[in-house]
Amino acid sequence: MKRVGAISLKTVEWAGLLVVALLFVFPFLWMASTAFKDMSEVRQFPPTLLPETWEWGNFVQAWESGPFLMFTVNSIVVAVAILILQFLTAVPAAYAFARYQFPGRNLLFGLVLVALMIPGYIIFLPIYVQLSGWGLVNTLWSLILPYAASAFGIFLLRQAFMQVPDEVIEAARLDNASEWKIMWTIMVPMAKPVLVTFGLFSFIYHWNDYFWPLIMTNSDEVRTLPVGISSLRMSDGGTLWNVMMAGNMILILPILVIFFVAQRHIIKAFVYQSK
Amino acid sequence: MKAMKKTGTILCALALGLSGVLAGCGSTGKEQAASTGNTTKPATETAASNGPVEIDFWYALGGVRGKTIEDMVKKFNESHKDIKVKAAYQGAYQDNHSKVLASVAAGNNPDVTMVEIASIAAFADAKVLEDLTPYSQGDEKKYIPGLMKNSYWKDKLYAVPFNRSTPLLYINRDMLKAAGLDPNGPKSWDELISYSQKLVKKEGDKVTRYGFSTPVDIWFYEALVFQSGGNILSEDGKELTLNNESGKAPLELWTKMVKEGLMKNPPGENYNAWDVAEQDFLNQKVGMIFTTTGSLTELKKNAKFDMGAAFLPANKNFGTPTGGANLVMLAKSSDAEKKAAWEFMKWMTDTEQTVPWSIASGYMPVTTAAVDSPEMKAFYEKDPNFKVAVDQLQYGYPRPMAPGYKELQDVIQKELQRAMLGQATIDEALQNATDKGSKLLKK
Amino acid sequence: MRKAATAHELPDTGQVRAQAASRPTSRPDMMTRLRPYLYLTPAMICFILFFFYPIGSIIYLSFQDWSLINLEAMEWVGLQNYTELVADQEFQQVLTNTLVFTFATVGISLAISFLLALWLNKKAKMYGIIQATVFSPHIISFVSVSMLWMWLMDPQFGLLNAVLEAVGLPGYTWLTDPSSALLSLILVNVWKGVGYNTLIFIAGLQSIPGDIYEAAALDRSPWWRTLTRITIPMLSPTMFFLFIINMISSSHAFDTIAIMTQGGPINSSNMLVYYIYEQGMDYYNGGFAAAASVILLLIVGVLTALYFLFMSKRVHYR
Repeated sequence: MKRVGAISLKTVEWAGLLVVALLFVFPFLWMASTAFKDMSEVRQFPPTLLPETWEWGNFVQAWESGPFLMFTVNSIVVAVAILILQFLTAVPAAYAFARYQFPGRNLLFGLVLVALMIPGYIIFLPIYVQLSGWGLVNTLWSLILPYAASAFGIFLLRQAFMQVPDEVIEAARLDNASEWKIMWTIMVPMAKPVLVTFGLFSFIYHWNDYFWPLIMTNSDEVRTLPVGISSLRMSDGGTLWNVMMAGNMILILPILVIFFVAQRHIIKAFVYQSK
Repeated sequence: MKAMKKTGTILCALALGLSGVLAGCGSTGKEQAASTGNTTKPATETAASNGPVEIDFWYALGGVRGKTIEDMVKKFNESHKDIKVKAAYQGAYQDNHSKVLASVAAGNNPDVTMVEIASIAAFADAKVLEDLTPYSQGDEKKYIPGLMKNSYWKDKLYAVPFNRSTPLLYINRDMLKAAGLDPNGPKSWDELISYSQKLVKKEGDKVTRYGFSTPVDIWFYEALVFQSGGNILSEDGKELTLNNESGKAPLELWTKMVKEGLMKNPPGENYNAWDVAEQDFLNQKVGMIFTTTGSLTELKKNAKFDMGAAFLPANKNFGTPTGGANLVMLAKSSDAEKKAAWEFMKWMTDTEQTVPWSIASGYMPVTTAAVDSPEMKAFYEKDPNFKVAVDQLQYGYPRPMAPGYKELQDVIQKELQRAMLGQATIDEALQNATDKGSKLLKK
Repeated sequence: MRKAATAHELPDTGQVRAQAASRPTSRPDMMTRLRPYLYLTPAMICFILFFFYPIGSIIYLSFQDWSLINLEAMEWVGLQNYTELVADQEFQQVLTNTLVFTFATVGISLAISFLLALWLNKKAKMYGIIQATVFSPHIISFVSVSMLWMWLMDPQFGLLNAVLEAVGLPGYTWLTDPSSALLSLILVNVWKGVGYNTLIFIAGLQSIPGDIYEAAALDRSPWWRTLTRITIPMLSPTMFFLFIINMISSSHAFDTIAIMTQGGPINSSNMLVYYIYEQGMDYYNGGFAAAASVILLLIVGVLTALYFLFMSKRVHYR
């Protein structure tokens, strides 16, 4: 008797889990389904679950509605350049915070924490004014430079560096290794998991970013994929939902692929944020 | 301030250099040089001496009309070896407006751009436009006079008409005939109401077919104000003159028609609402709509019924704003670019181009010669709908000319919506608009 | 300069933190003392240029009448931007919308994710899969999420209304009506953010030492008492952390508004960052935009200060 109750409770829980999963997955499946429909089927009410005919042409139409190859290249260049810069600025800074005692350390670290908490969205106007004074607005630099240093990256790496045992550094010092060399050849490899984690976080964030490129660019040469995709909604003669959804598939597929491949790392990246 | 900025750049470069970054972002350096080369001045100036002058042209029409513009630019480039025009789509009029101003601030402005006609004043007042008088030298007389009213600011010529329109009443003739109505459509507001009453279909309480629909958009509101004998702005452009009979009449008409289930207020922000109205019309869920003559070609292609176009119905009189966009030249461009820019503007709006452009889009031809040309006449013969906008010009008014009108029209539009949705009475809404308007116009 | 840094040095000149106290230092030379600052310089210059200087700049700009088109023509107007802004009905509505949106999004999202976390915090593989599923919207661009939900919420052909009508309910207005637009945005933001919060809650739950629960089980403490006496108090730092960062991120919502509603209908879904964007980049009221930015900065600043205050009371920094 008790077992039957346990089994039916299990069934209820499984059904519940299925509902939860569907709530979060189904919209994406719906996106995919719409991306393959033709416009008359899109406008059908009530809608069909699966496309009657598979319109691969929507993807072609989305891709050809703007210079999407250029957008993609820009997106990759920006995200990778930011990643490299953040790596190069965060490693020495984190090393300094983690391994040295110096006057002003707490104050400076406090400033980093403030930068960690307050989003750049609030101060986009003065940054725009500043970049425009340097003639950098509407260049890829305007998308890269403001993100050259990551407070989050410094914060994460500092913790990783603090966990490296002192003996390791001692040993290196005895070998007459310079501080600079210790930092790059000993500390960095030891912090590799954290670096991968941070790298994924940073790449995903900047690949997805819409606000900054929207503000800073006004020509196709320097626009990134999210801005390009978002302009798909401005078509006259009725919204082409199928083409829009096809375009968005192009934007999210790389991220979903990365997510499936590196799921554990990504989840860790975002959970780390809370530590 | 300037010096501060300079040292800033140096510091930053230094900082990046220190950490050995320069090697790391060599690739982005190249990318960036390539991308700015197209937009900044030095590249184009050197080009002037050897090779064609490059100019940037921004346009604000997507879809089929955008494609047509790209084709025109291509044709221009093929026939003008000394000029190379680079065309770029910048989104709808509002987006284009902000992007042009932003680009002027950023120093990568285009040399020629489309500008929605009510924005001309704001642009001219901000001194971002070039006075065209020295370039045109009287040539502007070729344009239809009714289309030139939004081209001047403080007696200087700043713009030439390009894609120009008036709103039209689009009619589903089959539907009107089936209801026993004159297929040429209503001529007055009263008829608009009585026609709509006959066209409405209901299932229980639910309206399944509306008689009439129009986006609650400033442009159509302007039309109805003109039809009621009023005006949007005072003569000196410093006051909003809507808190009176002619300002209230349009809202009274629309709210009444919505309340009685005759008119659908299409949902959506800005041009989304236009899309909804046009789609409803094509799907025969509504019998008559207001939209621009610029949609004529597209609607005609997609309508599965006998579609007609007519003057907007009259209240006290017929009346319509003109609309669409003009071409302007930016003041910041170099002399060589300006020369090339004028060449391009002149070409784009000349009879030879405006005729096929008009036929392809539904926008009005902009020169008097074009209207009288045999091609246009033959085309009008074949489809008289395309001539309605040109004929309606006799009742045409310019759109309000005031630097603050871009923001003001958003304000008015919000107040109109508020009244339409019953969040404010008509009086309150217009009072709000007037208060805010006088503040904005005095800036 | 870098040469000097890499030159031979005595092993103990690095002033390693752990040793600093225990070991007598041998006359630290200039380089040794400067090194941490040098290492911090690149990052700090970036922060100064793109964070601290702009913060000062925005405060300065909020006292000016200025516009992006004509930066030379700035005029000091004192507090005028603020007084006009505060008296402005539209701004009042924007501020109210921002507060309603922020509190609603955070409240709903935290409540749902807390329950989900209690449910999904189990070892079996399937729970891990569900966790990942719930989390997946978080890593998708707001652009895609917004456009996808615009489509789902389309009043005529959208899936949501199709479902509603299938079960006999009338279709909803979603984004097209002032009474429902803000609510729809809240729904989308909750949907996107709930997975992240769930994961953090689960991480928090897992860091509660198991023996506390074992002790409770020995005491035959009922589940609700375990929940209110152990789980919730032990989880309160996580909750507070999530509350603050959710508040901060919700308070600067932009993407969903820009793509889905443009602040409409009639301002009903307009919020601070979008308002700043509109004023600054669309209407060229630089002063208004700057003053609104400073107000948002104050809100976020207070939240940040609260957080640090709380952290410093609770945690002894290592």
